[in-house]
Amino acid sequence: MSTEHVTAKASHDPHAGLSAKGLKAGSVGLIGAVVIGVSCIAPAYTLTAALGPTVAEVGVQLPAIFLVGFIPMLLVAFGYRELNNAMPDAGTSFTWASRAFGPWIGWMGGWGLIAATIIVLSNLAAVAVDFFYLMLAQLSGNPELADLTLNLPLNIATTLVFIALACWISYRGMETTKGVQYVLVAFQLLVLGWFAVAAFSHVANGTAFDATAITPEWFNPFAVESFSAFAAGVSLSIFIYWGWDVTLTMNEETRNPEKTPGRAATVTVLVIVVIYMTVALATLAYAGIGQEGLGAGNPENQGSIFAVLAGPVMGPFAILMSLAILSSSAASLQSTFVSPARTLLAMGHYKALPTQFGKISPTFKSPSYATIAAAIAAAGFYVITRTTSENALWDTITALGMMICFYYGITALACVWFFRAEAFSGARAFFFKFLSPLLGGVILLVMFFKTAYDSMDPAYGSGSSVGGIGLVFVLGMGVILLGVVLMLVMYKIRPEFFKGKVLPRGY
Amino acid sequence: MRYVVGYSANARGHDAVNLAVALARGRGASLDLVLVVPEVQQFGAAHAPKAGFETLLNEQARDWLDEALALVPADVPAEAHIRNGDSDAQALIEAAEELGADVLVIGATSTGLFKRFTIGSVASSLLHASTVPVALAPHGYHRMEALTRISCGLGTRAGAEKLLDFAVGMAANRKVPLRVVSLLALDGGKSADAAEAAREYAEKALAAASPVDPSGVQLAAKTDVAVAQGRSIEEAVDDLDWEDGEVLVIGSSRLAQARSIFLGSTANRILRALPVPMLVVPSGYELKHHNHSTSNDTSGEAPQ
Repeated sequence: MSTEHVTAKASHDPHAGLSAKGLKAGSVGLIGAVVIGVSCIAPAYTLTAALGPTVAEVGVQLPAIFLVGFIPMLLVAFGYRELNNAMPDAGTSFTWASRAFGPWIGWMGGWGLIAATIIVLSNLAAVAVDFFYLMLAQLSGNPELADLTLNLPLNIATTLVFIALACWISYRGMETTKGVQYVLVAFQLLVLGWFAVAAFSHVANGTAFDATAITPEWFNPFAVESFSAFAAGVSLSIFIYWGWDVTLTMNEETRNPEKTPGRAATVTVLVIVVIYMTVALATLAYAGIGQEGLGAGNPENQGSIFAVLAGPVMGPFAILMSLAILSSSAASLQSTFVSPARTLLAMGHYKALPTQFGKISPTFKSPSYATIAAAIAAAGFYVITRTTSENALWDTITALGMMICFYYGITALACVWFFRAEAFSGARAFFFKFLSPLLGGVILLVMFFKTAYDSMDPAYGSGSSVGGIGLVFVLGMGVILLGVVLMLVMYKIRPEFFKGKVLPRGY
Repeated sequence: MRYVVGYSANARGHDAVNLAVALARGRGASLDLVLVVPEVQQFGAAHAPKAGFETLLNEQARDWLDEALALVPADVPAEAHIRNGDSDAQALIEAAEELGADVLVIGATSTGLFKRFTIGSVASSLLHASTVPVALAPHGYHRMEALTRISCGLGTRAGAEKLLDFAVGMAANRKVPLRVVSLLALDGGKSADAAEAAREYAEKALAAASPVDPSGVQLAAKTDVAVAQGRSIEEAVDDLDWEDGEVLVIGSSRLAQARSIFLGSTANRILRALPVPMLVVPSGYELKHHNHSTSNDTSGEAPQ
């Protein structure tokens, strides 16, 4: 080695490498941060996927549950922000839970995060496929095309193609650009607003399917019939706010790290709550919660409510709804791939998974192996659910709500435990590092256990069952059990991580 | 003399390092290995904060660059740099300009599905936008010894003298023979006339470009003119014999002439058939460099 090499090595230490890049091109302002927040939530997609199942649980108290569901999300997000500031890491929940509780719980926390994102990937792809065929039907004026999505082999094949495409895009390291995100978000909000206005004018003109008068009772969470329904409703509404926490974690990339993240999070949640309330009220006022026809309580409509309602409500402009949901779920499908891939990458990096998962593609600089593994898992999950469930979309969303409660619950408690020494060092620390995450974590884990217990009932969710046990339970618990098995296998073949040598507790 | 090497930790990156070493030896140039790491964006990534991933990516990039530096033999000075940018080509051009590079060296092959038939997207964007000469290493280039001959692909378009100046300087500085080649894609009868015309033109251009200083006189004895023809550019390239240690110097205006906007596709066709590296000189480069070299005559490939 010549001396030049030695100096050369010194010249690419982290600071030299990073200082060379100068001003960040990607720094975001308030509007940019709000767009990121809204696009992570993808309201057009979450509403079509979650509105039906939530109505099935809580009926007209839908607005109340949507509001209440935000509280645990907010409490947990505070803890998430503290952890992200203290230990920014690609493994997020996995790394934080390992640092707080040690390798075993950490591994399961990571598994919960991966499972949740894998499940949402399969659901996103399926929703995109439904609206793809619906849009073809609307474009060609041939309604039969929309029914192609009911053809099982064709549906599975198309969904797998969508997953493969999104995987390929992620593998190539391509990301949806800022401009595209702005357009997608604006378009989603516009179309959802249009839907609500059209629904209310049907109600006013007396042409609504089942005009239902809005009452204050709709906003009373205590009017929900049972605690079971309440728990199920809350775990579903966690799903509709999932992704909001990202606005709180944006620090260095914002133009004003002191103020922008907090403001962006507030504006995002205001935008989201307004749009959710408007659309929820519009849907209930127009369609009611009846079990027949267009009723929001009709099990036939639960999987994807806008696929059924957009036509009657928006008339010929229903195609805009299809386009909004297709584009937002396709964009989400691609951007969500990043999450399990990076978590798997971090787990590979920390020796909690086989080495290949830690591989970064030299050509595309993306987590190559992890991305493909995530795609295969999402495809596998979809095929299993689709072939065993009477209403795959409904059941996956319910299982997903459960899984989010599981890993967010662990993450929140990890925050409490990790910062236990400083919990009482001041009012701010007490509130953000102790009280909020403790309350949020406990609420979510209670929701998780309650939903898990209730879902053993074969009538739960869409009413699909395996061997007399509810399918949602089988799916949710099956995924967690699979995690336990894989964790034990990993312990056998790569024990380093589990001996606490790679990610020791504490800082 | 500094050569910037666009490095990636794959076969393409290795091709580039090998070619850069070959170019640097015999010229005493130093290498700057540049690895472009994409900007991790918050747009388009749900449920995944970017900070941690960026750290992993930069750690990996440093490991890759350590491996890359180990590939460079001890007699060639080399430094490594990480650059952040969304476009590899853009980041490399910026690095080359900032570091005052004389040549930008990259592996040309695509890593995509149709590897054997296309040049990489980075290479083709560089061919459209680079302000410094770009050296393209062919797939599997493994030679690291100094060059043994320079070939200069010559057309009949104005500005060819400038390109020839560049090639003459390159050969003189390295004390290796120069060969001037004309690649003719012809069909049928007129080929003999055209070949003769091409030869005449090349010889005239060469006489005009040959400098009067001592190294140039010495060079004249070693200069050779060859005309290659075939029904296609590929056949014309096959028609010539190529030494292992040879490089084909070609002007981008020469390529642009054939199909002005499909620069990449012509370069691609030559490159596909060409068994040796190709050095593409931007059309405005010679002139700029001449002005430059009057004030700083120790650098650059132009004759001194």
